[in-house]
Amino acid sequence: MQPFELLQPRTLEDALDRLADDEEARPLAGGTALVVLMKHALLRPERLVNLKRIPALQGIDWSSETGLRIGALTTIREVEQHQAVRTWFPALAEACHVVANVRIRNLATLGGNLAHADYQSDPPAMLIALGARVRIRSVSGEREEPLETFLVSGYQTTLEPGELVTDILVPPPTAGRRMQYLKFTTRSAEDRPCVGVAVSLGLEGTACRDLRVVVGAVSSTPVRVAEGEELATGKVLTPDLIDEIAGRAASAVDPIGDVRGSPEYKRRLVQVLVRRSLLGSVTEVSA
Amino acid sequence: MKVGVQINERELELEVATNSTLIDLLREDLGLRGTVEGCGVGVCGSCTVLVDGRPVSSCLVLAADVDGRVVTTIEGLGRNGALDPVQEAFLEHQAFQCGYCTAGMIMAVKGLLAENPRPSAAEAKDYLSGNICRCGTYEEVLGAVATAAASSDGGGD
Repeated sequence: MQPFELLQPRTLEDALDRLADDEEARPLAGGTALVVLMKHALLRPERLVNLKRIPALQGIDWSSETGLRIGALTTIREVEQHQAVRTWFPALAEACHVVANVRIRNLATLGGNLAHADYQSDPPAMLIALGARVRIRSVSGEREEPLETFLVSGYQTTLEPGELVTDILVPPPTAGRRMQYLKFTTRSAEDRPCVGVAVSLGLEGTACRDLRVVVGAVSSTPVRVAEGEELATGKVLTPDLIDEIAGRAASAVDPIGDVRGSPEYKRRLVQVLVRRSLLGSVTEVSA
Repeated sequence: MKVGVQINERELELEVATNSTLIDLLREDLGLRGTVEGCGVGVCGSCTVLVDGRPVSSCLVLAADVDGRVVTTIEGLGRNGALDPVQEAFLEHQAFQCGYCTAGMIMAVKGLLAENPRPSAAEAKDYLSGNICRCGTYEEVLGAVATAAASSDGGGD
């Protein structure tokens, strides 16, 4: 790694000032992506702003009125193990549990994961299925945005220079909501996903009130299967209807071929996994 | 920059470069060569050490970030010349062949048993899935985990 200056702000305001002063300065969160990119000289920042000592970016709060607030510097492991996450968003706990290995999850942060916007990742698809938003701050103010639009493309977000993700916000789940995250790996158990499917299903009796199906790791950003979601609204999710939604999911994605699978293979997997996760969601006993 | 850190129960004040990683600090500055680097990108697990009791890849942690932390390496295990029960269990099961992954594997098992003193085989597999053994001694490692868990007095049964 080339030498760099490391700034260690203790407050969010100080960090935002530092980032505003120098547009080339890079925020440092868990470092599991940035340090690797710097070791390989793919990035050569001269100045890093270390966010680890800022209390305002830490921690998880839960309220049944407002939902979850996850500080951007919360580690993936903390999210996975947090009692409120496990109780109210078991599929989010699962999507965090299956990230890489325990050593990485002890370092990597949820805010860093989202801001890095690597398409081969598990949490983003699940968070989009749950309707998560990101809160963003800069010296000039604060804004909130749905994660769905925040992620623009592979490694691209709507973050402007000087802006920082400070919190991830997840609305409270409706009663009896079913959710699932299904990860498929082609190389080893702890590999990045070849395909990840996130489902969040609200029921009215036995019929679907609202459904979100999001396919992660296949296209440059997670893909919402909007056509399939609309098909489901107001209907009982029969095996035939689930097959139809799975077909729409396979048509909705634009798979990137990589070492984890060819575009054709991934498209087929999307169909299988969407079907599997929807069947799982309708047969699961309600919480 | 200055770093105050406890490593293997010794309080140290160290001067580190910003671009130095924890494994650089351990091996180059302190001569603790038991921790070895494999992939250098957090995938293989050979450089696993505990920071505040949790396993991390020391190849990805900036040395500056262990300021105020407690670090345990393979050299910090065992008391009064006796091996740690996990080390004993690895010997008993011959849970290594070439030995390159062993220090990291043992530190990961320490992390596992600290969190979960009586892990099921499935839980142990899941927790250790990111520690890669080129020689394929996984079955022996899982045997060692079971032995170490049974021998520890923290389990309460």
